[in-house]
Amino acid sequence: MPGTRATNKAMFWRIIRRLLGANRGRLFVMLLALGAGAAVTAALLNLQVDAKRRLTSEFRAFGPNVIITPRAANSPNNPATLEESILQEIPVSSEMGRVESVGLLYSVANVTVDRLHAPLPDGQRTRTPAVLVGYSSKTFRDLLPAKTVEVSQLLGSNTRVCFVGVNAAHQLKVRAGDTLQLGGGNDCFVQEIANFGGVEDNQIFVDLPTAQKVTQFPGAISLAEVRVSGTPRQIEETIASLQQRLLGAEVRPIRQFTEGEAKIYNRISGLLTATIGIVLLLTALCVMAAMTNVAMERKMDVGLMKAIGGSIRRVLRLFLAEAALLGLAGGMIGAAAGIFLSIGLGKAVFGVAARPRLIVYPVAVALTIMVAILSAYPLRRLASIRPASVFRGET
Amino acid sequence: MFLRLVADSFGRRPRHKLLTGAALALGMGVATAALSVSLDVGDRLAKEFRSLGANLLVTPQSDSLPLEIGGVDYRPVNAGVYLPEADLPKLKTIFWHNNIMGFSPILEVPIEAWSPAPKSWITPAVRGKASLIGTWAQHNVEIPDGTTYLTGVVKTNPWWDVKGQWFGEDSRQCVVGVNLLKRIEAKLGDDLNVSSGDHAKWVTLKVVGVLSSGGSEDESVLAPLSVAQELAGRPGQYRKLYVSALTKPEDAFAKRDPQSFTPAEYDRWFCTPYISSIAFQIQQELLGTDVRVIRRVADGEGQILIRVRMLLWLVAGAALLAAALAVGASSAASVIERRTEIGLMKALGAGSGTVGFLLAAEQLVLAFVGGGAGYALGILLARLLGERIFGSAPEPSLIVFFVIITLAAGVTILGSALPLRRASRYEPAPILRGE
Repeated sequence: MPGTRATNKAMFWRIIRRLLGANRGRLFVMLLALGAGAAVTAALLNLQVDAKRRLTSEFRAFGPNVIITPRAANSPNNPATLEESILQEIPVSSEMGRVESVGLLYSVANVTVDRLHAPLPDGQRTRTPAVLVGYSSKTFRDLLPAKTVEVSQLLGSNTRVCFVGVNAAHQLKVRAGDTLQLGGGNDCFVQEIANFGGVEDNQIFVDLPTAQKVTQFPGAISLAEVRVSGTPRQIEETIASLQQRLLGAEVRPIRQFTEGEAKIYNRISGLLTATIGIVLLLTALCVMAAMTNVAMERKMDVGLMKAIGGSIRRVLRLFLAEAALLGLAGGMIGAAAGIFLSIGLGKAVFGVAARPRLIVYPVAVALTIMVAILSAYPLRRLASIRPASVFRGET
Repeated sequence: MFLRLVADSFGRRPRHKLLTGAALALGMGVATAALSVSLDVGDRLAKEFRSLGANLLVTPQSDSLPLEIGGVDYRPVNAGVYLPEADLPKLKTIFWHNNIMGFSPILEVPIEAWSPAPKSWITPAVRGKASLIGTWAQHNVEIPDGTTYLTGVVKTNPWWDVKGQWFGEDSRQCVVGVNLLKRIEAKLGDDLNVSSGDHAKWVTLKVVGVLSSGGSEDESVLAPLSVAQELAGRPGQYRKLYVSALTKPEDAFAKRDPQSFTPAEYDRWFCTPYISSIAFQIQQELLGTDVRVIRRVADGEGQILIRVRMLLWLVAGAALLAAALAVGASSAASVIERRTEIGLMKALGAGSGTVGFLLAAEQLVLAFVGGGAGYALGILLARLLGERIFGSAPEPSLIVFFVIITLAAGVTILGSALPLRRASRYEPAPILRGE
């Protein structure tokens, strides 16, 4: 009989509406518990996806992790070099992260210093051998972390600037603002003295064209240093594809950094996943316990429905539908709040707002509905209660 | 009477109390686990970061400028200054000696290497110019306090991969870089003749291992420090020292110039394992040295540690928030459902204060029991996590316990305060009538 079914359906929804509206306090409490759970679920799921990706870009602070060298062996008299043009063959980005590269040309140059203050007479100026490095792009300074020791504003018309490692500066007795004669009529203005804490401290850095003129290796670089961002596997793939592109050169990972990064990345991502997993599980259980506690208070309602002839299956269906509706509402409100929360968290940690991932939203809502239904399930136990004893106030 | 009422409430509705307690315990368990992990994670991860190798480089103070390209120093051998090996045990006597995870001295000598294995006159032995790195592989250092300490490149350069084995200390053995081995056509187990660059001295070393490092060491011979000292004619000396130290990430305070500190600030700086203060202490101990922070390793480490720690704190914060809300909701529910009871008590002459006090006492008992159980649960989970990820469990912390108990009490009281206040405004009669 379609008519009865329609009436039944209308009655079903009416009871549900009443169940929800009967006690505003209780409704609020249930929505609060479910919403809090959903918010945390959505925020953490969103953050987890984003944080791992951001972490790999944090590794940029370690500087280059891949090196491209000529295949031929090196010797001081006849150094093997690469064509400068191979730098163009290095892609700017791989699938996930940026690929930053810099070409470097190494040579030993005899350097004399023109001091800005208290210049020495010509006779006392000595030529000191030092390692001169030409760099192909300004990104080199961002790529290799260093602490600036001394910096000077560019003076006059000398536009050729160089920066000097702290040890080299100490040995050459050069300060920021001085001018270095690099030989062959080339000079440069010392703009900065930097502390790298590595072999770079012994070197003088100048732009590539100048270095090429000094060493008379036009269009050549000694090697290229590359920073590849991404997960350990992505880095490996990028190295393989670089090697395929650059057949004349050897592409190899700087194992100190690729392996160290891989180890640290795996630890951190494991930690993050495990922590978030545990937090989510316990939050679900906690919400479930709170909800069950509320559901158990419905004994009176169940007793009444049974007393007026409701079958336990129908009564249970009513309560489950109520729980599902609550889960849907709480989940939707909570997940929306959670996504905003994760955007804020991402901003706080990484300085960049986490990108909201839409997949997180339905997942969080579905999980909340599941928790809500599961927590109404203990009502099944009420099948055995006798309506009369409930009304008499017996427990 | 008061206690009896409280006890009675627990005895009469054990299932309700159990569920509220369970919600509390689970919520506080989340909070404990997240807090313990984030409290502990800094030290653990700092240890992991040591897989990047040394973060401090010690060089002679008045050395001439090294002409190093691609790992080969083109300076003449007799140029430059050397440091005494005998000073090295002092490294383990500095204030932060426990934070020194390893160190290895390096003495490089330009050499020519060839394999003396009989070759036919058509294919003469291939000679290769390279550099010999004299260092410690696994060396027992005698520390002034009478103990010994095992250190060497195995600790400071963990990414070095040796096929075969490391050379024994003070032996005539060597480990050869994989590229050099190919170049001079030698193989594992061969004897290798090595002469110093000026051919003044030569020794025969047995190749016991092949090194692949991914760096310039692939082009060199690694041998015990004593062999390098003999070849260079510098007994008991070394030139570079790599130190791997556990440090605290540098904050704004550590980045300031130590010269500008007040005495109190100086003490604080000295007694914190910042990389700059460890470098300073090493410099004080090893005279005539220049201790530099390898920025590449140290800066990246600090930055990532700070981010990860912050990330975990935020995860812990989110967990706390969710647990607090859920627990608060649960205790609110348990008060709401007892309106009839509250009405009855008021009808019998109890004031709002007495009723509130009674309910608060009940909630507090629950909070302490649930919070305690939650703490135990959380510690267990944190242990499990720690063991899985870092191989050792975090120490249970008393601070976390107090934080959790306080939180549990605060959340339950806050959660029940709101409905209680509303309930106190009700007239008993309509409630009892069921309206």
